[in-house]
Amino acid sequence: MTTHWADMQNADVILNIGSNSAENHPVSSKWLNKAHEKGAIWIVVDPRYTRTAEMADIYCPIRSGTDIAFYGGLYNYMIENLIEPGLYEYMTTGKMDKYNFEYLINYTNASYILEKDYEFDPETGLFSGWDPETETYNSHSWHYETDHEEPWDTSAGGAYAWAVKDGVPQFEKPVLTVPKMDKTLTNPRCVYQVFKQHYSRYTMEKVCEVCGMDIEDLRTVYAAWCTSCAPGKAGAILYALGQTQHTYGAQNTRAMSVLQLLSGNVGVPGGGVCALRGEPNVQGATDMGMLVNEQPAYLKWANTTDRDSLAHWLESQTYSDGYYTNKPKFMVSALKEWYGDNATVKNDYGYDWWPKVPSHDGSDWTEMSSFEKMKDGTIQGYFAWGMNPCHSAPNSSNVRRSMAHLDWNVVVDQVITETASFWDAPDMDATQIGTTCYFLPCALIYEKPGTILNSGRWMQWRYQAVEPWDEAKPDYEICDLLWREICRLYAEEGGANPDPILKMKWDYYLDGKIDPRPVSWALNGYRVKSSDWKSGFESGANGALAAGNVDLLAGYSELGADGSTACGMWIYSGFYANSAAPLDPAQQAIGRRNNKDTSGLGLYSDWAFAWPNNRRIIYNRASADMQGQPWAPDKALVKWDKKAKKWLSGYDNGLDIPDFAASKTLADGTVQAIEPNNKAFFMLWEQNGRLESYGMVDGPLPEHYEPFETPLSENLLNGRLNSPCFLGRPSADGNKELGTMFSLESTRRGSADEFPIVATTYSVTEHWQTGGQTRACPALVEAFPGDMIEMSPELAAEKGIGNGDKVRVWNKRASVVVTAVVTKRVRPLTVNGKTQHLVGMTHHYSWGKLYGNTLQGAVNDLTPNVGDPNSQTPEYKAFLVNIEKA
Amino acid sequence: MELSRRGFLKGAAGAAGVGMAYGLSSAAPALAVEASEEWKLVNTEEYTNICCYCAGGCGSLCSVRDGELINLEGDPDHPVNEGGLCPKGATMFQLRNVVDPKTREVTKSKVRQTKPLVRRPNSTKWEPISWEDAVKEIALKVKATRDKGFVETEEVNGKQLTVNRCESIASLGGSQQNSEEEYLILKMMRALGIVAIDNQARV
Amino acid sequence: MTEKAMLFDTARCTACKGCQVACKCWNNLPSGDGGCADSMDFKGVYQNPADINGTTRLIMTFNEFEAPESQKRMGWAFGRRSCQHCTDAGCVQICPAGALFRDEETGMITHDANKCVGCQYCSTACPYDVPRYDKLAGRPDPVINKCYGCVDRIHNGMAPACVTTCQPGALQFGDRDEMIRLAHEAVDRLQAKGFTDACVYGEEEMGGLHVIQVLKYGIEDHGQVANPKKSVLNTVHDYTAPVVGGIAGLVFLGLAGMTALSAGAEKHDQVIYNPETTDTLDMNTGAVLKHGDGQGTKSFKQYMSQVPIFKKWGEDDHE
Repeated sequence: MTTHWADMQNADVILNIGSNSAENHPVSSKWLNKAHEKGAIWIVVDPRYTRTAEMADIYCPIRSGTDIAFYGGLYNYMIENLIEPGLYEYMTTGKMDKYNFEYLINYTNASYILEKDYEFDPETGLFSGWDPETETYNSHSWHYETDHEEPWDTSAGGAYAWAVKDGVPQFEKPVLTVPKMDKTLTNPRCVYQVFKQHYSRYTMEKVCEVCGMDIEDLRTVYAAWCTSCAPGKAGAILYALGQTQHTYGAQNTRAMSVLQLLSGNVGVPGGGVCALRGEPNVQGATDMGMLVNEQPAYLKWANTTDRDSLAHWLESQTYSDGYYTNKPKFMVSALKEWYGDNATVKNDYGYDWWPKVPSHDGSDWTEMSSFEKMKDGTIQGYFAWGMNPCHSAPNSSNVRRSMAHLDWNVVVDQVITETASFWDAPDMDATQIGTTCYFLPCALIYEKPGTILNSGRWMQWRYQAVEPWDEAKPDYEICDLLWREICRLYAEEGGANPDPILKMKWDYYLDGKIDPRPVSWALNGYRVKSSDWKSGFESGANGALAAGNVDLLAGYSELGADGSTACGMWIYSGFYANSAAPLDPAQQAIGRRNNKDTSGLGLYSDWAFAWPNNRRIIYNRASADMQGQPWAPDKALVKWDKKAKKWLSGYDNGLDIPDFAASKTLADGTVQAIEPNNKAFFMLWEQNGRLESYGMVDGPLPEHYEPFETPLSENLLNGRLNSPCFLGRPSADGNKELGTMFSLESTRRGSADEFPIVATTYSVTEHWQTGGQTRACPALVEAFPGDMIEMSPELAAEKGIGNGDKVRVWNKRASVVVTAVVTKRVRPLTVNGKTQHLVGMTHHYSWGKLYGNTLQGAVNDLTPNVGDPNSQTPEYKAFLVNIEKA
Repeated sequence: MELSRRGFLKGAAGAAGVGMAYGLSSAAPALAVEASEEWKLVNTEEYTNICCYCAGGCGSLCSVRDGELINLEGDPDHPVNEGGLCPKGATMFQLRNVVDPKTREVTKSKVRQTKPLVRRPNSTKWEPISWEDAVKEIALKVKATRDKGFVETEEVNGKQLTVNRCESIASLGGSQQNSEEEYLILKMMRALGIVAIDNQARV
Repeated sequence: MTEKAMLFDTARCTACKGCQVACKCWNNLPSGDGGCADSMDFKGVYQNPADINGTTRLIMTFNEFEAPESQKRMGWAFGRRSCQHCTDAGCVQICPAGALFRDEETGMITHDANKCVGCQYCSTACPYDVPRYDKLAGRPDPVINKCYGCVDRIHNGMAPACVTTCQPGALQFGDRDEMIRLAHEAVDRLQAKGFTDACVYGEEEMGGLHVIQVLKYGIEDHGQVANPKKSVLNTVHDYTAPVVGGIAGLVFLGLAGMTALSAGAEKHDQVIYNPETTDTLDMNTGAVLKHGDGQGTKSFKQYMSQVPIFKKWGEDDHE
């Protein structure tokens, strides 16, 4: 998230939408309660009345999967009630008490002029650039119109002189295309006007028809939210998988970012887009880029088109302006860490050893597609590291059948998960499955040391408390055992190109044993020449090394693009920078334990380390006005000192670290402050927040489409039922010419005639994910001993179901039996004039042999294998079922 | 370097608990009481850790005596959770140790699997396997699978590219591991040429 | 030490059950056995186990109701069901074995299972029906099990386990006066927000509880007992005058509190007091419920073993 947990106490309005923070992120409750007791308005928009809804002031039900309609309506409401009525007065007098015009006009791209052929057609539901042949968009028309161009200055003393130094790979330097703007926001092609026109269809009446709530509830919510738009006020959006797990999930998150930009809530204390991340180190895994197309630290992986060589990577990825002009430094330093001395400027720092993801044929290699690829024989061997797709992936019975095609399967976990024992599922015949399956027991969190990140980007150290029990081993040791054996085989026997394996730098040993601390150094970064990895590291006294040496970088500003530095994860640089005691995490930034807050805002900047550069609230330039003065005097994150002509910041001043260019180093080495300007979002080349964006594959503005399975036969807001290019969309003739079309068995769409009930899935606070951990804890099983289906008393009466009854839930993909919870907390909605029933199911239990009530299958046997085309996230949150008393 | 009251690595033996603030609104001073024989945390060392469930990053304290986990609860010094832990976090002790309902003795978890296993093709049961054999077998399978389907170069749009790709193996997971482990897993998988690498961040 | 109390603020509680399981972990209590074998079965309700039992000292309770006048149109009242640590604690007064006692420094009502003789009398004495009984290995009868206020933690400078773990800050611990002050602040805040039934609970009840509660929706919606009273047994015990035979009036007085309560424990709804021996006896069975002369545990057990219903306690029993 852009902020962190303790900052939620500073919110004036709290909006939980697509999240159930009280249950699934319980630590948030402490901070939300503080805000609430200080007077914040707390709103929950959710298909059912959750434990979070009980905490809130306002509850508004919504049909699963209709969030964009809700946001579009809110934009329209804000434009009609806040922006249009006040814009003229602001332009003429500068007055703005209810709405932050200064933020909108200067920090967002509202004033940018779009390309002439930009268009959206409500009749077809398509934006300009649609190619029906390939079923993809060309985003050209979604870009800004260019005013003029500015090339990089690479001359001696120029800002980009570093880009032509010895050792820096050759690449064509970017050219900044300065967009045309209209700061009066009157040009009909400026983003604001296009945006206003686009969402004028989203009237409150229409939103209610689509989403199913009462108009008075909607008005209450919208009006409450608008109080967060005043300068100095902050509204926080808390979202989780309820937003992302849709065929337009990435557009949902875009929609929230847009709302927060429009509301002036990004970068201010108590505001932000709060992605409540659900796994202990999912922030770390995202940072690490353990994803098909990613590399560590939000850089893109090599592919076969625009990233097919190092030069092309640098050309396509390096921004023309803003902080990402530094990408060559990050990239070359990363390759130096991957391949050590084997990486030189002559061999493109080893870039070609990286596997290139096929991007020319439209194929998809993410989790959802991997099961298709098991069936067709492409994928034959599988590693599952603490992940359990035979229970958690959509259409999980299809996943189990797919896995039966594997030659071998390795599961590293604490308990025998459904993925380890898929061959033993009730619907499988083990004697017919030829897969060799290994189970490798891993250590628990307190049985090993290492770094973990929380949702607020805090990096914290876990100290090992006890030895792993019995034969369990830490994952790093398991990984090292396998790696060394694979290397031995390739070194001795050869095989398909052994170079990418044998050239890899893998010297993270201390006293002859694999150890996470040398890996921490690699992630933090070090100077290559003054570090000695060859001697082998031996531990000395007080955290120092007795043999070997590592010259750690103080931060990413020290990175070079010339091979002089190595860094596995540029954004982490500085978290582990004390070269005097490299063996002692407690003497590193990550190990800081000063819990004194100097800010009064709960920044706790001297506790552990937050990437990047210990910034606690990112985009914090936006917390201050164009003169650098905080919107609210008691909520200052950074401040321009007019007399001293410098930015005030940092722990000692009770402030945050600037997340913008606050100073620059001149050619002679002097540091000069940069006066306040409008560049509040310096991770974008235009350095302004995007209300409209050309970066998505499925449209430049969030537009409402129905879920893959919908109770409606038409989209009430435009002419296209489903998102035009969602992942896994079936083709009419069933052929798989286009890369993302899945087999029928994988998706199996049901119709509303047969399956009239909208279903969604979620977790309870007592359990976690597929229960591999929580179902192993007797106290938690006792606290919630089985899976449930929650339904309204009206639906229960219609179906003759009583509380506690067993209920069969089925659709075209599967049938499962779970226990009924009949509750007023689920209400029938009125959608498009008709009564629409909703049910919700937990997905923690299954046929796996842990404690508690078992199911014959798993609830995810019911969910369809379709997902978002940007993020490849499956649509778990809205699908159709029917139910009956079992 | 100044360290907080609670030792960064471990608390002083025998002093565990004593000196902890209530962390409450009443400024009641901590009570210096001699730890009695029955006191659960007598002679324990404290190690800080971070919860293994949602990404709250709540701090926990592991109390250890004679190398065994005696208690696990929230770290009262931690600024985010201030000693709190949700039901899942508060039960992390049971991932390793549980109470036997019959004897009331604390025993090792009965459902945790702590030895490597293999299930052979078409078999209906798990069999024990040593770590050494498991690692050898898996490495052989990885190599055979990689060698069979490895794509070293490929023609794309008329251009011959070095792609070094292994399409026949996939790797899933990462958000359960510490960051250093993620880096090692990622390096290993990418070195093999794997492109089908994914983790919980996807879903 | 000044008198302590826990504060439970239902307006902050999210019913996550962190307290419920933290209690189990700190006290090494098992699940699904000892007290309630079917607690590992899901019965379609969030509240589980259904009630406190021999191995569960604390549960969260759930109560959903319609509230047509509110924007949300409903409410979901979360409650805490556990020992309230009364000042005027009937269980302590009635315990014939000295197994229940007050921790004088904190005011918490704690117990010593080693002294418990399994008479289960405290259960009927409790206006909140709290004491439960756990069948321990090697003990012929179930022995008392209830919240003991984590007095060992308190004496070691820590808050009770349930309080420590509470993420939303719904549970606090400190000086009782301070907790009461905070409770009133919270109720004022709730009243101002329109929760007109919000009230403080525990300030005066049973001589003052050591669990002070802020009840957002009022006493009943959160599962609390309005006007709690000690049971008839305590009433009998309190009488100094001889009472033989006709004690219907007294029984009547006490039953009002009793009938709504105890489940599981044996009821003794008619008792007699023998002025000669100062013993309290069950009128139906003749069992001595409260020995009058304050003997030590050992002699008491020996005495009890002569009484028919306690015959199973042999002379050579566990000490």
